[in-house]
Amino acid sequence: MAELTELLRGGAYLADRGLATAAYVAMTLGRPLLLEGEVGVGKTELAKTLAQVFDKQLIRLQCYEGIDTNQALYEWDYARQMLQIRALSESQLADADHVDQLFGPKFLLERPLLRAVRAGDRAVLLIDEIDRADDEFEAFLLELLSDFQITIPEIGTISAEAPPLVVLTSNRTRELHDALKRRCLYHWMPYPSPEREVEIVLARAAGATETIARKVVAAVNRLRELDLAKPPGVAETLDWVATLDVLGETDLDSETVKDTLGAVVKERDDLETVLDHLEELVVDV
Amino acid sequence: MSDDASTIDQLPEVAPFVDMVVDFCRELRVEGLPIGSGELLTYCEAMAALDPGDLLDLYWAGRSTLLTKNDQIPPYDRVFRRFFLGYDDRLPEQVGVLLKRSEIENESVIEVPSTEPRASGGDEEEAKLGLMASDIEIWRNKSFASCTEEELAALRRIMNRMRLMPPQRRSRRMRSSSSTDRPDLRRTVRATMRQHGEPSQLFWRSRKPKMRPLVLILDVSGSMADYSRNLLQFAYSARRASTRVEVFCFGTRLTRITPALERRRPDDALDRAAKAVFDWEGGTRIGHALQTFVRQWGRRGMSRGAIVVICSDGLDRGDPAVLADAMEKLTMLCHKVVWVNPHVGEQGGPLPDSLGMMVAGPYIDLLLSGRDLAGLEELAGRLPALR
Repeated sequence: MAELTELLRGGAYLADRGLATAAYVAMTLGRPLLLEGEVGVGKTELAKTLAQVFDKQLIRLQCYEGIDTNQALYEWDYARQMLQIRALSESQLADADHVDQLFGPKFLLERPLLRAVRAGDRAVLLIDEIDRADDEFEAFLLELLSDFQITIPEIGTISAEAPPLVVLTSNRTRELHDALKRRCLYHWMPYPSPEREVEIVLARAAGATETIARKVVAAVNRLRELDLAKPPGVAETLDWVATLDVLGETDLDSETVKDTLGAVVKERDDLETVLDHLEELVVDV
Repeated sequence: MSDDASTIDQLPEVAPFVDMVVDFCRELRVEGLPIGSGELLTYCEAMAALDPGDLLDLYWAGRSTLLTKNDQIPPYDRVFRRFFLGYDDRLPEQVGVLLKRSEIENESVIEVPSTEPRASGGDEEEAKLGLMASDIEIWRNKSFASCTEEELAALRRIMNRMRLMPPQRRSRRMRSSSSTDRPDLRRTVRATMRQHGEPSQLFWRSRKPKMRPLVLILDVSGSMADYSRNLLQFAYSARRASTRVEVFCFGTRLTRITPALERRRPDDALDRAAKAVFDWEGGTRIGHALQTFVRQWGRRGMSRGAIVVICSDGLDRGDPAVLADAMEKLTMLCHKVVWVNPHVGEQGGPLPDSLGMMVAGPYIDLLLSGRDLAGLEELAGRLPALR
């Protein structure tokens, strides 16, 4: 497990003990890993980094309302099939071979889940923001995650020799079904501690000095204490550091905070609240 | 528990820590965490891959294999500390007794009359019910506040049969249909194949309608409690009509009681919901409650596209500016706002003249009374039309 932590660190991802354990167990037992937590704490990033450090293909399925099996699994290219049928009938070529070709790989549109089953353990499957999909899709996913097997009536059953590593993320806009959660290992990702966040900034942002990292992290932590609608996540911290870097700022004073606030606070009401507390954000480190 | 032991025995290697893990899970169950043999087994498998002598491994492996929600973390931490570290932070017995007593007092204040005849009541009860049923017409316009307990119970039985149907919207999911919206290529190609490649008929599909979610925000302070309880009953039946229903109660602060409504019997559900709320009968801070809702739930997406039904008399003790601000944000985060106020129409005018109602007025899409059965019927009748 220490090895895994080191590997992730090599991919500029700093995982704490809990996350590393969860990921390690998920990989050892071949179970999906469900990550829940505040926005922008690195849920999606973990899947990306895992794919990168283990040199696997990252297959991403972004969920949205109304997503169904045709968009997640596979779809026949109906328009081309139709044209092919026309062509065949016009040239009188409707023998068995040609008809079989109609349902061959040429006309099969592969979607992320089918691709993941085919890739097996050569892939990391990221199912992003599962809470956006509806109940029907969740039920379907449940079935897929248990045996990694897809049946296409015209072709047959395709199953993964070894299941891919599956990472699911949820922002908790709704409660997921217990059945799905029980299939998965669960990990709740909180905001990192300030020291850890400074480390993350230094690992991720090449141009950042320690002073600026500490100052930005202190300011962001203060922002999280304020009663904001959208408290900034680690992603915003990194954005802010990058913004300061682009502007060539070497220090964070209240004037710079005001100018670059757009990188961290993205709601009008929140901006007003923050502007009232501007002085508190700047601390000496 | 013997089931667990036998399940574990089926594992090829019985690790020495299994007994300990089984005991630990038993403790967790006592604390109310839903842990089945499956989770226990996963925990053991996980520990086989880790170092069972390492407390941190024990802790984190258990957390990721046994829990399914983040609010289960505090009880898990408590049991873990107690079981593995011998650190007991349970309440001393005396405090426990005190707490229990205050719980009982709470219960007695908020007792919800049952909607189902008690088993012991037998024939007598039934006879009474028969009589009551013939009185429905008289009750239709009798204010809930002036009903006796039995009458209220009977009314709830009637309401049980009323269906609260939120309006529908078009979802992004497609289904085949006869309206010529979008071509259904899948079906068309399949039909063509059956016709030996001869295109015969064009099929169509359109977006499937879906019921909008319903959010009830109920004032349970003082005189409003009676009216709110009836809406709670409504919430229960709407939930069974297969739509997403979220229920919140407020007096001085907002409480989410949705989980309490996940019971099969309405009385159990309502009892549990009542226990979840602490401030029945108290002051009202509508603005503050709505603001909390917007911040903690609305922004997360709970009320998106939803019908929000607020039941309150609008007698706000808080700052009107907070209420106005919260209402404005709420209207941006939901589809329609329905306000149920028993005082509607009482003083001749459509809008009762309380400051809260004046402030909230411009943001309300539909204002109803819900004072009596007829009022609730009106709500049920007009809801589907709020497209």
